[in-house]
Amino acid sequence: MNSKPSPNATAVDRRTFLKGLGTSAVVVASAQAKAAADEIDKAAGPGPQGPGAVPVTLTINGEKKDFSLEPRVTLLDALRNYGPLTGTKEVCDRATCGACSVLVDGKLIYSCTKLAIDAQGHEITTIEGLAKDGKLTPVQEAFIECDALMCGFCTPGFVLATTALLAENPKPSEEQVRHACSGNICRCGTYPHILKAALKASGQAVTETTTVMTYGVA
Amino acid sequence: MNAFQYASAHSPDEAVTLAGKNGLYLGGGIDLLNLMKDYIQTPDMLVDVKKVSIVAPDGAGHHLPATITVAEIAAHPDLKKAFPGLSEAAGEVGSPQIRNVATLAGNLLQHSRCWYYRQPDIVCLKRGGDMCHAQEGENKYHSLFTGCSCVSPVVSNLSVILTALDAQVVVKRGGKQQTMTMAELYHEAWVNPAAHHSLDPQDFLLGVTVPGKRMRSAYRQQSEKREFDWALVSCAAAGNVTGGVITDARVALGAVAPVPYVVDEANQFLEGKALTEENVSQAADIILKDAKPLEHNGYKVPLAKTLIRRTLLALNT
Amino acid sequence: MAWPNPSQYLGKPATRLDGAAKVTGAAKYSYDVQPDGWLYGMILRSKLPAAKVTKIDLTKAQAMPGVKAVILAEGEQRTVRYYGQELAAVAATTKQQCLDALRAIEVTAEPLPFVVKEDDAMQPDAPSAVGGPPEPVPPAAPGTSPPSAPPEPESPNISKANVKGAAQADVDAAMASAAVVCEAELRTPVQLHHPLETHGSTVSVSGGQVTAWASTQGIFSVRDGLAGSLGVPQSNVRVICDYMGGGFGAKFGPGVHGGLAAKLSQAAGAPVKVMLTRFDQGLAVGNRPSSIQKIKFAAGADGKLIAADVENHGSPGISGGGKSAGGGGGATINTPYPIYKFPIFCAKQYGVVMNTGPSSAFRAPGHPPASYGTESMIDELAVKLGMDPLEFRLLNDTDPIRQREYAAGREKFGWNAKYKKPGTSPGPVKTGIGCAGATWGGGGRGTQAEAQINPDGTVEVRCGTQDLGTGSRTVVAIVAGEAFGIEPHQITVRIGDTNLPYSGGSGGSSTSASVSPAVWDACQKALAQLQLQSGVADARGANWSGACQKLGTTPLSAHGEWQEGYSSGGAGGVNFAEVEVDTETGYVRVKKIVSANDCGLIVNPLTTTSQINGGILCGMGYALYEERIMDRHTGMLLNTSFDSYKITGMSDCPEIEVILIDMPERGVIGIGEPAVIPSAGAIANAVANAIGVRVHNLPITPAKVLAALGKVPNMPNV
Repeated sequence: MNSKPSPNATAVDRRTFLKGLGTSAVVVASAQAKAAADEIDKAAGPGPQGPGAVPVTLTINGEKKDFSLEPRVTLLDALRNYGPLTGTKEVCDRATCGACSVLVDGKLIYSCTKLAIDAQGHEITTIEGLAKDGKLTPVQEAFIECDALMCGFCTPGFVLATTALLAENPKPSEEQVRHACSGNICRCGTYPHILKAALKASGQAVTETTTVMTYGVA
Repeated sequence: MNAFQYASAHSPDEAVTLAGKNGLYLGGGIDLLNLMKDYIQTPDMLVDVKKVSIVAPDGAGHHLPATITVAEIAAHPDLKKAFPGLSEAAGEVGSPQIRNVATLAGNLLQHSRCWYYRQPDIVCLKRGGDMCHAQEGENKYHSLFTGCSCVSPVVSNLSVILTALDAQVVVKRGGKQQTMTMAELYHEAWVNPAAHHSLDPQDFLLGVTVPGKRMRSAYRQQSEKREFDWALVSCAAAGNVTGGVITDARVALGAVAPVPYVVDEANQFLEGKALTEENVSQAADIILKDAKPLEHNGYKVPLAKTLIRRTLLALNT
Repeated sequence: MAWPNPSQYLGKPATRLDGAAKVTGAAKYSYDVQPDGWLYGMILRSKLPAAKVTKIDLTKAQAMPGVKAVILAEGEQRTVRYYGQELAAVAATTKQQCLDALRAIEVTAEPLPFVVKEDDAMQPDAPSAVGGPPEPVPPAAPGTSPPSAPPEPESPNISKANVKGAAQADVDAAMASAAVVCEAELRTPVQLHHPLETHGSTVSVSGGQVTAWASTQGIFSVRDGLAGSLGVPQSNVRVICDYMGGGFGAKFGPGVHGGLAAKLSQAAGAPVKVMLTRFDQGLAVGNRPSSIQKIKFAAGADGKLIAADVENHGSPGISGGGKSAGGGGGATINTPYPIYKFPIFCAKQYGVVMNTGPSSAFRAPGHPPASYGTESMIDELAVKLGMDPLEFRLLNDTDPIRQREYAAGREKFGWNAKYKKPGTSPGPVKTGIGCAGATWGGGGRGTQAEAQINPDGTVEVRCGTQDLGTGSRTVVAIVAGEAFGIEPHQITVRIGDTNLPYSGGSGGSSTSASVSPAVWDACQKALAQLQLQSGVADARGANWSGACQKLGTTPLSAHGEWQEGYSSGGAGGVNFAEVEVDTETGYVRVKKIVSANDCGLIVNPLTTTSQINGGILCGMGYALYEERIMDRHTGMLLNTSFDSYKITGMSDCPEIEVILIDMPERGVIGIGEPAVIPSAGAIANAVANAIGVRVHNLPITPAKVLAALGKVPNMPNV
């Protein structure tokens, strides 16, 4: 590492940091450790910002957008009311339901519980950023085909949760899909069809579980 | 939320300085930001500590920095091998979205989930008011044991398993680094109704060191829902098992007391005993003997007994 | 029925027209709409459950940054009767500015006595929740009142009885001579709708014109409500609801919040969006009333039902909620559940008023609690007689369609192989099965629609109905596609706007039955005109574009109305549930549900299945997780978000198999509500079958299972 130690930072050495976890662990560093290491290279950042509005630059769906926001504005609020990108939904605003889910550097998070000012310097992906040039992704197509949506308010969150899952685990089991979507709630009852859509999008077989019968047959 | 300033720290000392008298540290923010939305916490400064560089202490053991995320703990193959219970406990924290950002420190230091504490229009005992509303009120999720008049229980999954593993907590306090046990980390909550743990706002939790002494560990919890739900009761057990006989046993219960609940007598009872149904049941009885159920939480006693038995028996495998 | 049979598109699975809009985030809901210059609006709510308010000081709030309007909800001097009742409202440029301003409003109020628990409210010395006599429960239908009335209720909060059926003495006599009698008290909690999109609307009042983007099940109900409260002509009010995030019965009329949004808009001179927070959502916009059911059923040794004596105390909160409800928001329930015919019965129902938010219609109002109570006791009778509970039902529920459903469902479910006597499953983790049936009205009328055919062959169908996630937008397209012989996805459907032809609110499972005949009529008329003008005898299908070209430059449109002969009422179904109960932790896992349902002609089996899945999962939440919890000492709501008000999650979702009994001869009926009715009863019966003892109140939590098993010394069996 060719770091110029910043005057404010103590020296960090990734190896000693994760001492004791075994040799293989040295390679698998905490993401935080990497961030810490990278930060040392930068000069000490700006001092405290706010409480009034300050410039905030967010990279959303590959595009840099400039905002003027108070530190207390959440990423969700910034997206919806300043973006305006309303695909990400506000439902509970308390990190309990997943409708506000976005990807930050590919990781699924609740945007209601992330300060916009803290989301700078990361790649934010919202529901609007999945389809490219109007072409729906396999997950989006599968949701439509399997009717994994009803009122649709939870749908952006579930599409992102499923997308994040398949990026990490291209052939998940049903149990893994449930686990990956356990942070998202639906009130209309789309869960069975979301399970089907996730399996279908990953190219796995799906069983039909609806039977239409006529009345007359004994 | 109230209006506040935001700053980013690169070292623990910088974080402490920036936080000053009325600032708080921002890790994942899952607990803090949502408390702030209800004006239960109103810091005038948030110091982002995600980029704080933390030097691992010397000495044996596995050092987990305060800023490691719960997802990283759950997924880490070496941690899973060394401490299966830690991996299990981390995997049950919240949801994927929460685990991706929640930090070890944030999880350990999170505030009570008691609905009286969190009701913005009630100022309960823990928030400086006159009375604990849960004692005679809706207390189905509350404590069986307490040393003071607050009956809200600790809910951090990681606190329970780290207690069973006898982890040491490294804290920067008043410019100096010190080490404390998990019991010391939480003791204040046992005796002081206003406390969630023993740290002052200015203390900086640097990390946790988990000794490699206990080769076996397990964590079990029971919630009302299958996932993404607070534990009604949780249990962690750790020790060494050879030929079905346990030594160095430590058992801790979560969600039954303001602290991870440990009864040394039970650990001593288990020393050198075979992990049989009879022995684990007896250990459970010892742990639960001083339980004082409230009106609606008596079910936690048989539930805790089941979890203690199952968690201990899981050490056999 | 007059629908074509065989059909080309009716009855075939079709993906939703709005699927792409929803999966890309393009769909704009009321929460998303942002007209130029729009402001955020938020409501100040009472922090006391009952109080005499003497002063509401708005001056500090009015002076705060970004604030454009601050208004009172009603006058300044008033009485509030529940925690969360609306006091004032603020409009400001940002949400945070609203929140800051709300905190600056100073309320002076004198607390009054209150009750927020049914048991407290029913005590003889309870304070009066309304400070006066309660609203009476509606009287029994004429000709059904019994010769002897029940005694006067003792508490000031209990209404006079609503009594149906035979005289008590006659029922008692029938019971006395019956072979088996089962008696128990069963309770269901208040259930909160909690649609993912909260209640709310964006309203713009400008120059005598009102535009409201409302999250609603009834755009015309919002229009008429706003016109009335603002004193403007209905034709000056336009309500738009292109997409909405769930209603489940509570979203009719503008609501107090809609009225406040309009008044804020008037005061601020800009559009104002008032969307409730999740916290507010649990307080004041409706709920399913609770029930305390004392049930006594009797049967003969042959398994035939003989008599029923039921008494219910239900709480609709501070009022019946009738004004804000679509179809029955009061506390009366359909007990004994009407799929079982008792030769003699008596049902006495009381309303219990409390200082909590008013109830409203919630998916099949009155049915899920009644079904749970009745189906639980039906199982008890069967068990007491040593009979298989399914056989007992087949003996007593003679409806031929449900008999068909039980037969089809039992086979798919494997009932015969799975059934064991209660509590006989080996080991600590016990399996059990249960079933329950449902009946519902549905049906509908009154809708109008327009179909426009363009020379380029494109079609637009316009109807002022709503799509709550039910798939009604796609139903319109399927009906039109059938009429014209073109793919449903080629139809442009416009709904959710009061500028479009009238359709009633989407409640009572009436939408498909109201809308389909009207759309069919409009399309048939348009088709006839097209054939006349183009000279093409049959313009459908392959001939379509050729015929349309002949229109030249003039599109044609035709107006249609609901007609007889395309729809009817009477839907229903049965649910089978299999559970696993860990008797050492009390945890219940629902492993499998088989649900057989009928709703006449099934327009779209894909979206119909989704509705049934939704009903099952909502009923499962009612059975196992959901309960609004009020604090008796402060009168406040305690479980204010989804971590403490628990609804069924992805990981809880069981394996579900759905059987649809397609009956095109009965026309289009509607399925939204029957789907939820039998879910909790089937699950509760499965749990009792597994552990051999019954939990008598919902939700069936691990705590209650352990108590029922005698494992909790200070919690007697519940």
